[in-house]
Amino acid sequence: MIGYPLNDLFGGLFLLNAFAMVATRQIRGCLRFFLLQSFCLIASALIIGLLTGVRELFFVAGINLLTKLIIIPWLLRRSVPREIYARREISLVLNVPLALLIALLIAVFSFFAGRILTAGTAAFSTNVPIGIAGLLIGAYTIAVRREAVPQLLGLLSMENGAFFLGIGFSPDLPLPLIAEVAAAFDTLIVVVPIAILTRNIHERSGTTLVGSLTTLKEERAP
Amino acid sequence: MAVHVLLNILQVAFVLGLSPIFVGVLNRLKEVVQSKRGPSILQPYRDLGKLFAKDEVVSSESSWVFRVAPYIAFICPIFVALLIPVLTRFPLFFAFAGDMLAAGSVLALGGFFAALAAVDTGNPYGPMGASRTRMVSFLVEPVFMIVFFTVSFVAGSTIPYIVQTKWVTPPGSFFEPAHLLLLLAFFMIVLAEAGRIPVDNPSGHFELAMIDESKGLEYSGRAAALVKWGGYMKLTVLMIVFLNVLLVPWGLAATPDPLAAALAVLLVVVKILGFVVALVIIESSLSKLRLFRITEFLGASFIISVAAMMSQLFSGGAP
Amino acid sequence: MTPSFLLAAIPGVLLCAAFLSLVPLGRKLAPTLTVIASLAAFALAGVCAFLTLKHHVLVAVPDWIGIDGFGALLLMLVTLVGFLAALFSSGYMAVQARERTDRALRGYHVNFNLFLFSIVTVPMMQEVALTWIAIELTTIFSILLVSFESTSEALEAAWKYVILTMIGAGIALLGVIIFHQALLGSGPFTWDALVSGAGSFSPVLVEGGFILFLAGFGVKVGLVPLHTWLPDAHSQAPTPVCAILSGVETSAILYVVLRIFPVVRAHPELHLARWATIFGLISVGAAAFLLIQVRDIKRLFAFSTVEQMGIILTAAGLSSASSASVVPYQILTHGLAKSLCFFAAGSALIVAETREIAGIQGLIRREPVAGAALLVGSLAVAGAPPFALFLSELSIVKAGLASHYYAAVALLVFFIVVAFGAILYHVNRAVFGTPPPSVKRAPGLPRVCALVLVAGMALAVAFGVWLPPPIHSLIAMAGSSLGGLQP
Repeated sequence: MIGYPLNDLFGGLFLLNAFAMVATRQIRGCLRFFLLQSFCLIASALIIGLLTGVRELFFVAGINLLTKLIIIPWLLRRSVPREIYARREISLVLNVPLALLIALLIAVFSFFAGRILTAGTAAFSTNVPIGIAGLLIGAYTIAVRREAVPQLLGLLSMENGAFFLGIGFSPDLPLPLIAEVAAAFDTLIVVVPIAILTRNIHERSGTTLVGSLTTLKEERAP
Repeated sequence: MAVHVLLNILQVAFVLGLSPIFVGVLNRLKEVVQSKRGPSILQPYRDLGKLFAKDEVVSSESSWVFRVAPYIAFICPIFVALLIPVLTRFPLFFAFAGDMLAAGSVLALGGFFAALAAVDTGNPYGPMGASRTRMVSFLVEPVFMIVFFTVSFVAGSTIPYIVQTKWVTPPGSFFEPAHLLLLLAFFMIVLAEAGRIPVDNPSGHFELAMIDESKGLEYSGRAAALVKWGGYMKLTVLMIVFLNVLLVPWGLAATPDPLAAALAVLLVVVKILGFVVALVIIESSLSKLRLFRITEFLGASFIISVAAMMSQLFSGGAP
Repeated sequence: MTPSFLLAAIPGVLLCAAFLSLVPLGRKLAPTLTVIASLAAFALAGVCAFLTLKHHVLVAVPDWIGIDGFGALLLMLVTLVGFLAALFSSGYMAVQARERTDRALRGYHVNFNLFLFSIVTVPMMQEVALTWIAIELTTIFSILLVSFESTSEALEAAWKYVILTMIGAGIALLGVIIFHQALLGSGPFTWDALVSGAGSFSPVLVEGGFILFLAGFGVKVGLVPLHTWLPDAHSQAPTPVCAILSGVETSAILYVVLRIFPVVRAHPELHLARWATIFGLISVGAAAFLLIQVRDIKRLFAFSTVEQMGIILTAAGLSSASSASVVPYQILTHGLAKSLCFFAAGSALIVAETREIAGIQGLIRREPVAGAALLVGSLAVAGAPPFALFLSELSIVKAGLASHYYAAVALLVFFIVVAFGAILYHVNRAVFGTPPPSVKRAPGLPRVCALVLVAGMALAVAFGVWLPPPIHSLIAMAGSSLGGLQP
């Protein structure tokens, strides 16, 4: 059986891409790692679908292929000014080794949690912890990034993590198909307003360093 | 028994004899990628021959360390070649004399003496290079450790031969996330230890930017040849550990007969050449990191290795 | 007219209005459509609530779409506030968005209808995963509403809002998946199935799922360590949108957290309700003290929303299964009072052209209706005696004492008193006092806005004095479904 180890392989790659998204300075690199991560998700869904014979998983793979690998990159390229992608984030909120170390702690925690959650179930033992880790590291990516596009990609990678968890948690009783479709559609339409917002911020302030937007607070100069 | 001894000698001869040609191929390919013709792939042999024929000049200010260091740097990789599965799947004479940790520390011993020798001469560039190499080594060390620990979790041993068999037999555990992460982490430290881009530029001639090369600046004649050769062998040995133990543990001789050994030589050469191509791609597409970004590079490899260990521990090992 | 048609018609009407608002026929069309659609939605919600009262549940698509008492109550509240906001918006935007293009204005109304549509779907979804998606939609459709004014502050607020709430939604999604796992495929993944199967769930999953629900949706509700975006978004959005965001959207999200309470009650050994009390009290306490130092009238009411959400969550944690009806009561009264507050704040913004409390001094002399509404609204929201919030807060205290949580109740009362003082101090400055002398003649309050203010005041007062019996029984039904009792 090559299926299980192959699924594990994509799980490992998935986690690796999550780490890479935390540490990559270049925005285009961040986008590439997100696409790779989505590819791992799709591959894992296909493999689990083949292994268990659950037809919904093929739909999940297909929807994700359509939204994450085709439409979202296209939307992002269209709606966000091109020069933003060539930017590098010189000053991350944390330096790279420290940021990665914290991401690692998150991953340790996820493996720990995954073990508790999957105790005595038929879950795929790599998908659950790696899915949780993908979700939490996605949230963490948003926290350490200052640029708008990486923050958005962090959001999307959170959804990737949730999907990755979902397909492996209960392969024999998947979420209803309509919910999966709706969730995938939801990730798609969330990109539109955020991209518009990014463009508006870019037009107004000439920067997309959203991490440095801090005018709104209580203590305002009288 | 005699066959085993012969095979051992063959292993050493393989590393000793072919390591310059791998570097030659590497340099040639790099030039080809840059649309130049490049030196012949036999150029490293010619360099070594030329250096061996030349007179040696030793600073009167230096001590015995300076004179001994080239020999140590030359011999250490040979020792390591005895410990690791270069051509055979079955353990040879020295297989149980030391594990991967021992191999790592033998290599480190060579580096240590090279650093001492660099400080010894009083050349201003030597200590600078030595301190930089030490910095890289400091950062590489924990990654090495974690990688070995993870390997021992998987294989139940750190003897390279046993580890190799663990991954060669069922391809099951080969695809585990742990193994994958391990590969990446180890690959990054191979780059760092061998002084390749993005950590160090082996073909740079600017002393201020050198890391590894500046340690050997003071050597001439035979000593320089030994240091160079030692460096070639170190790269080869690192590549062999990475390839034969971790990445593609297949294609080694399973039985001690000459035909299998010959086939193994061929296959290992092919594997190493494949790796060399990968190195060329990396070296041509990346640029050298700033010195202070090296911590980030190696920090990332540390994180990856720890992630490997953790996924090994938590996902409950092989199915 | 089948019930399923009626129920589906509510979001349907709003969706139609959203599409029709795109038609470029002058600046009057979209606001009018929005008002009509929200009024129709309110009327339909009323009919649905009536049917729910009769049959206990109203099912459109079994296991997917339907409402019970709690859902019907929320649906009525959302559509009522939505209607008032649409009405207010037609006057408000005519003044405030004079300089914006027709296109921007149409976009505003499209989003407004879609936003209302998404909130309305939240209580209607029986399937848990779809409820989560409905909540995602509320965020998605409100992003561009929050950033509508396009000042750098509004854009910043919108960015914080979307990023933080989306992180929260991701974490809540983890909770949804865990509950799905807990159910082990025994039947459809509905709230009812979760409640009826709760006893057999593995405690670890219940604990993990509940904490993730609380933390994830807690971001969107504005529980205190996670509230940082709320005062920004709720103050930078156009005022009618603020009224919906603060008055009903937060409650609609909290409704989902509350929905999981019966599951938690099935596992009393885990003491999970305690977490709700703790987080609720932290929110009430922090918001009460933050209320003291605000300068901006809309931020004042935004912090008050944080406080009120804390009170509701505390109430859910303190009340027992039998006294759970205090929670829906508080949601209802808060929704009405808070939307009135924002309408009043919006009127003050029109009259005084500033949000600074110092700048709107003497509002009652400049525009008596707005001043009165601000006073009535803040008295109502602070919980002064003749108003409904006073009664509901009193019943929360009673329920807490009945369950022997004396320390928590004492803290709650203390914080409510602090918040009361803070709100009234600021509002007193805004309503009374002498207007700044050098004010140029600002545009008067549009008549529609004044109408909404009067209606809001009437509602706030009326609910304090007299609770109509149908509403009362709806609240009781909501309480019983919240307590996990079979109706």
